[in-house]
Amino acid sequence: MKAPLHLNLLRPSERVSSSPVRFRVMAPIFALFACVGLVIWWAILVGQLMLTKSMSGRIDQELVQQTNPHQEIIELMAEANELDAQLEQLDCYRKSVRRVGSALGALAEVMPPQVQLVTLSMPPPALPEIAEPSTGYVERTTFSLVGRTPQEQPVLMLMRSLTAEPFTNLLEVCQHPEEGIVSPRVKAFKQDLPKKGEEQRKLVFDIEYLVQERRFTP
Amino acid sequence: MKLQLRPPDTRQSLLLTLAFGVVGAAFYFGVIEPADLNLTAAHAVLEEQIVRQRTVLDDLAQKEIILRGLNEKSVRRAAYDVGLMTPLLESTAMRAKALIDPLATGCGLINLEYEAQEPVALPVFGLAAQEQFVREPIRITCRGSYQAAVSLVRCVEKRFELVSLTALSVTATADPELQQITFVFEWPMKKGAVR
Repeated sequence: MKAPLHLNLLRPSERVSSSPVRFRVMAPIFALFACVGLVIWWAILVGQLMLTKSMSGRIDQELVQQTNPHQEIIELMAEANELDAQLEQLDCYRKSVRRVGSALGALAEVMPPQVQLVTLSMPPPALPEIAEPSTGYVERTTFSLVGRTPQEQPVLMLMRSLTAEPFTNLLEVCQHPEEGIVSPRVKAFKQDLPKKGEEQRKLVFDIEYLVQERRFTP
Repeated sequence: MKLQLRPPDTRQSLLLTLAFGVVGAAFYFGVIEPADLNLTAAHAVLEEQIVRQRTVLDDLAQKEIILRGLNEKSVRRAAYDVGLMTPLLESTAMRAKALIDPLATGCGLINLEYEAQEPVALPVFGLAAQEQFVREPIRITCRGSYQAAVSLVRCVEKRFELVSLTALSVTATADPELQQITFVFEWPMKKGAVR
């Protein structure tokens, strides 16, 4: 009798796939490659670290060599800053200096002969309140003329003269009653007490001007 | 005898893969990650050093400019020294007397008396300097004519660039040539010059 011979040359485990590459073979190989990759990665990291440390060491050495020259520069810069701060204060003072000699000299020239000046007064200004640091401050004072005159005309002439140069450097002439700034301000204009030997009673005037402000600002 | 490499079976394959996995994970967490952290730290240090070095090199490059600026400022600052009030034997009034007396006498003023007033601070606009300055007022009372008083003011303004007249009072007396006069002249002075 003739019967076909069934030969099964494949093992049962090999029947899962027709591919010659078995996962049970590749998996450990992939795992091994991953481990080798990790080692390479570590080697790169170590190399980079050595390079970085070498550069760091070199820069550190250069910084040590530059310490003294740099310290000199720092000191010079500090000295320059100190001078800047001093000059700021001194320049501020210089800008505030006021020249009144010519105005005072001219006052004698414009004073009418009928006016007898009793008192001329420019009092010291009030002390400023200063915080540190400051944006500066402004000083104000007044200029008063108290005198006697037989008539009002000489006084009016005097006041008119004081509105021109060189008095504008010293005296402020403005009328802002709504802000409380009136210069000149006539504080008094009245009859004086009778004096022995005088034929007619004279008039007493007291006029106050605001002096141009003195600015202590940068 | 021929060595025959037999492919692993499933169980062996699993064990091998697991073993490599454990070794790899241990290597990553135990060796690579610390190395990476070290490298990051080393990079940070290097960056800081580079920034510091750049600053140092920039500063060193500015040396000539700084020196030139410093010279100019020193010259400007020295120019102020001439006009500063310096006490005479701890007294600013006596210094003022030494400076003003010759001028006042020349103008015809008599009975001069000098009194130092309380110094007034100057504003500090930014960082305070180690050496600061104040305004030193000196009150001078005397007798003379109004013209003499004006002459003195003009002389002082011409001779002393930094002196400023801050107050003035002229009061008439019976003698028109001998008014009662009070000046307050102000000088800049180093803070703490007078204890």
